[in-house]
Amino acid sequence: MILKGRRISGGTAEGPILRVDHPVSFLGGVDPKTGQLQDRAHGDTGESVAGRIFAFPQGKGSTVGSYAMYGLRLSGVAPAGIVNAHAEPIIATGAIIAEIPMIDGIDIGLLETDDQGILRASAGELELPGVGHREVVTSILSCEGRYLILKRSGEVGTYQHHWAGVSGYVNPGESPQEASLREVAEETGSSKAQLLASARPIRRRHGSTVWEIHPFLYQVPERTVQTDWEHEEVRWILREELSGFQTVPWLDEVFDALIAAVPRPR
Amino acid sequence: MHLTKAEDRILAGDEGVGRRKALELLVALGEIYGADRLIPIQSAHISGASFQTIGEAGLRYISDLAADAKVAVPSTLNPLGMDRERWREMGISEAFAARQEAIVRAYEQLGVDLACSCIPYHSGNRPQPGEHVAWAESSAVVYANSVLRARTNREGGPAALAAAIIGKTPEYGLHLDQERLPSVEVALPADLSPADLAPLGYWLGEVLRDRIPYLRNLRLSDDDHKTLGASLASTGALSLYYWDASPPPRTDLILERLSLDRADLEDATARLGLDKDPELVAFGCPQLSESEVVGLARALEHRRPRGDLPVWFFTTRVVAQRCPAAIEQLRRFGKVLCDTCLEVAPIHELFSSTATDSAKACVYLPTVGRQRVCYCPTRALLDLIG
Repeated sequence: MILKGRRISGGTAEGPILRVDHPVSFLGGVDPKTGQLQDRAHGDTGESVAGRIFAFPQGKGSTVGSYAMYGLRLSGVAPAGIVNAHAEPIIATGAIIAEIPMIDGIDIGLLETDDQGILRASAGELELPGVGHREVVTSILSCEGRYLILKRSGEVGTYQHHWAGVSGYVNPGESPQEASLREVAEETGSSKAQLLASARPIRRRHGSTVWEIHPFLYQVPERTVQTDWEHEEVRWILREELSGFQTVPWLDEVFDALIAAVPRPR
Repeated sequence: MHLTKAEDRILAGDEGVGRRKALELLVALGEIYGADRLIPIQSAHISGASFQTIGEAGLRYISDLAADAKVAVPSTLNPLGMDRERWREMGISEAFAARQEAIVRAYEQLGVDLACSCIPYHSGNRPQPGEHVAWAESSAVVYANSVLRARTNREGGPAALAAAIIGKTPEYGLHLDQERLPSVEVALPADLSPADLAPLGYWLGEVLRDRIPYLRNLRLSDDDHKTLGASLASTGALSLYYWDASPPPRTDLILERLSLDRADLEDATARLGLDKDPELVAFGCPQLSESEVVGLARALEHRRPRGDLPVWFFTTRVVAQRCPAAIEQLRRFGKVLCDTCLEVAPIHELFSSTATDSAKACVYLPTVGRQRVCYCPTRALLDLIG
């Protein structure tokens, strides 16, 4: 898949990803001779940034860190490229003076160490050729303050016997909202669902796939549900009861995003 | 960002690699901070001059840049890791001195003035009110914005150098009227003395972080502002304050009012550092101004050197040349060092604990200088030496 970000320092780079989840200072945090990560307080184990597409949330520490990045370049152990969630001036400055291609605005949680990466920094994008991208919809039906969850049957391909919303793939040529309405009709028999809210897609990495989940919240007039073969049980629950169920991943976040997105009466 | 045709040509490399890289850096920083364009600056002040801090990598970067670029506006340099004449007296090795001189030569080749000072406003680089400049060195930035009413963001060393080479800086932050308005008013005790300023600044920086304050009940000399600004910039990210005699253009964005009392000051003083066994007594962080040198010399006139502890006074070469008699008076008590300062010199080679009257030194010495610190107001510091 291709992730879109913002160009910070131009150029292109190709190499394996190295991802860390803590802010990085190149002064003190990286061995200037070998490029090895040495921030022991954050659990670094001595992996080297040399030749990698180095992904981390953001920089920290002294402005002299920019020069340390130039030093890595001179020693031949600089990262091939840099991917940040948020560029701050120290790392941006270092990337430019050391001519390391760099972008920001990337959810680095979607990357895994040793993914192959192609960083086209001038275009602001990172391609991960070995990582697939699937778009799915998750729709929550609500009725009188309760929400519908469905237990997936033993016949479905993934997450058998886990609780979920009304879920399914977005088919080619279909918009997420069309997919959502189609799935609601197929899986609950409801044709009277009225859209209450939608939220920004939630992207999560699982295995070699990035799942992009489009959340929708509907209101239905009554709690009658006609399930198909995909589900074996349904419940109408209160939001706070969700934690008592074994659910598919990220259902909690879907609920949070949707409830936050419901327009409030003034 | 909207770039001019002339700027596009620089980015295309028509004016050399050094200017291309300098402009790339300014454009990237401008994009990060949401600037629409670059604006001309009248001067630059560049940090990252000590071999102790920038190391071999920094030296290489500045040398590479100097190969085909020059500064386009008057530019001054922050302190070095040593006094260029008296470095042997500081216990500096030949190897360190050689690398430090190589850095100085690279800056000289770039056309940077070698006053080597953290108080460029007392060393020939004093902006006029309303002028846009690009300064690094947090203590100088807060002085330039607050006391001189010039306009600068708090630049990193490489960004200030890039701005010097292009003669422009991205227009965001403190360059813009609407970003220079206070959001908080702080009522200070009416009986503040100069001895309170270091802990006061320390407290303000911690509490305010990056909010611009309007400080009430503040009546300070020029030197006092230098002390206050240096200390609040060391714990906070703010680079501008207003006070009674220099009020803000508007106060309608002030939504918060704080007050400070004696107990807050005492609490801040206790946290500055109270080591009991100083091995060095240091004056001049930021470097001493001419009036501070003269004031210290007068205070020491009738005292005799105790001689049990090394004493170092830090000032600028420009200041030292202006008041030779006062400098001689200080030399009775210790070394007077120019071009350098407490925080960027390798003092850990000689000492492990330093007594200082500077809150900024108390903040930085434990890490960059590997020192324990003993904070003393100036009068108590004088008692340690004579």
